Amino acid sequence: MLSITIHGGVTINVDGNQRCILDTLEQHKLQVNYHCREGYCGACRCKLLSGNISYTNEPLAFVRAGEFLPCCSVSLSDIIIEIP
Amino acid sequence: MAYTTFNRQINDQMKEPMFFGNPVNVSRYDQQKYGIFEKLIEKQLSFFWRPEEVDVSKDRIDYQNLPEHEKHIFISNLKYQTLLDSVQGRSPNVAFLPIVSLPELETWIETWAFSETIHSRSYTHIVRNISAEPHKVFDDIMLNERILERADDVTRYYDALIDGINLYQRCGEGTHTINGQSHSISLYELKRRLYLCVMSVNVLEAIRFYVSFACSFAFAERELMEGNAKIIRLIARDEALHLTGTQHMLNIMAAGDDDPDMAKIAKECEEEAYAIFRKAAEQEKDWAEYLFKDGSMIGLNKDILCQYVEYITNSRMQAIGMKAIFSTTQNPIPWINTWLVSDNVQVAPQEAEISSYLVGQIDNEVDGGDFGDFDL
Repeated sequence: MLSITIHGGVTINVDGNQRCILDTLEQHKLQVNYHCREGYCGACRCKLLSGNISYTNEPLAFVRAGEFLPCCSVSLSDIIIEIP
Repeated sequence: MAYTTFNRQINDQMKEPMFFGNPVNVSRYDQQKYGIFEKLIEKQLSFFWRPEEVDVSKDRIDYQNLPEHEKHIFISNLKYQTLLDSVQGRSPNVAFLPIVSLPELETWIETWAFSETIHSRSYTHIVRNISAEPHKVFDDIMLNERILERADDVTRYYDALIDGINLYQRCGEGTHTINGQSHSISLYELKRRLYLCVMSVNVLEAIRFYVSFACSFAFAERELMEGNAKIIRLIARDEALHLTGTQHMLNIMAAGDDDPDMAKIAKECEEEAYAIFRKAAEQEKDWAEYLFKDGSMIGLNKDILCQYVEYITNSRMQAIGMKAIFSTTQNPIPWINTWLVSDNVQVAPQEAEISSYLVGQIDNEVDGGDFGDFDL
């Protein structure tokens, strides 16, 4: 089972039933800012410190290197992220 | 140099910068320097809506039953939003179209401004419904000191850019005497005005609308003014997309691959960019104070709203690579997010009012796997 570690915080497991990383984080009661939940507003931007993710649909919002949008992505490996 | 509606010079559009290259001649999208702008156009078109589709008739009863201080909050926000969208419905076209050099960006600007005109029309739709004398509401916009105060900061950067473009396209670089008055302009100065203008538009879309949005949704949380909230939801969805558009422009400019001058200007204007954000946040906080001068509303008061302004200001600044300027890190009104979700994620369009549900959208792709569990 893949895991998501919040930098300086908890590690949670990805049970595979969630549509995206944002849903998984919320399932574990972790608060992330969000608006559109489909990749065009960029409000949920987080930092990806290690590991790989893949987009289920390509985000329209500007995502700079080292960042990703949890609302339209799934993890491909164990990942460490930072929630702003 | 002078603007022409059909530039006869044969150019390679892939080599043009976003602005201040050759004027666009053929509106072609087969080759694109920045494909993101066409994706934004497509998204914006899929969002298309008309104010008349939203029933606001119950709002009239709700409005009549609101206490005076809540009427003040509601109607003042509408007036302010009317001003913002009046500016946004025309200014991107007037300011950016004469200097844009990429067809996909040109069309994005037009699509963007058009959607702002829908917002303007929706305010009239709302006001007509709640008031027997809509003219009084609109007439007051030009007399309301609190609104005019902020109008100056919203329009200043547009006007400076438009003025510079007029001079440059008529007379070129240098110092010119027009009607006995001396004016100077350089291309570099124009680019600086462009950068600051896009920055100020970014701030407008990112922060200025959100105080009003929060109030509209706070009413709707109490099941009041729900027709209005439905319209505001559609507007907020559009604004989030416009914001993404200006963020892309700013980030492309700052990177410098598009136009090295712009990267230099972005650095030189850093302090001014911080000042634009800070001033907008302060003005919005003052506005919150004005809104709640006669009393708060359930679920929202001046302090909470000010914290929210600080919170979104921080997040918008970080989106374009700037540092946060306020200490607030938590969203004081997390419930607002559920109002800002794009409702595309719902699965049964026929069972809910889904604003992006396109009539006639049919999935024609069928393969063998679709019949997998069929038995005859």
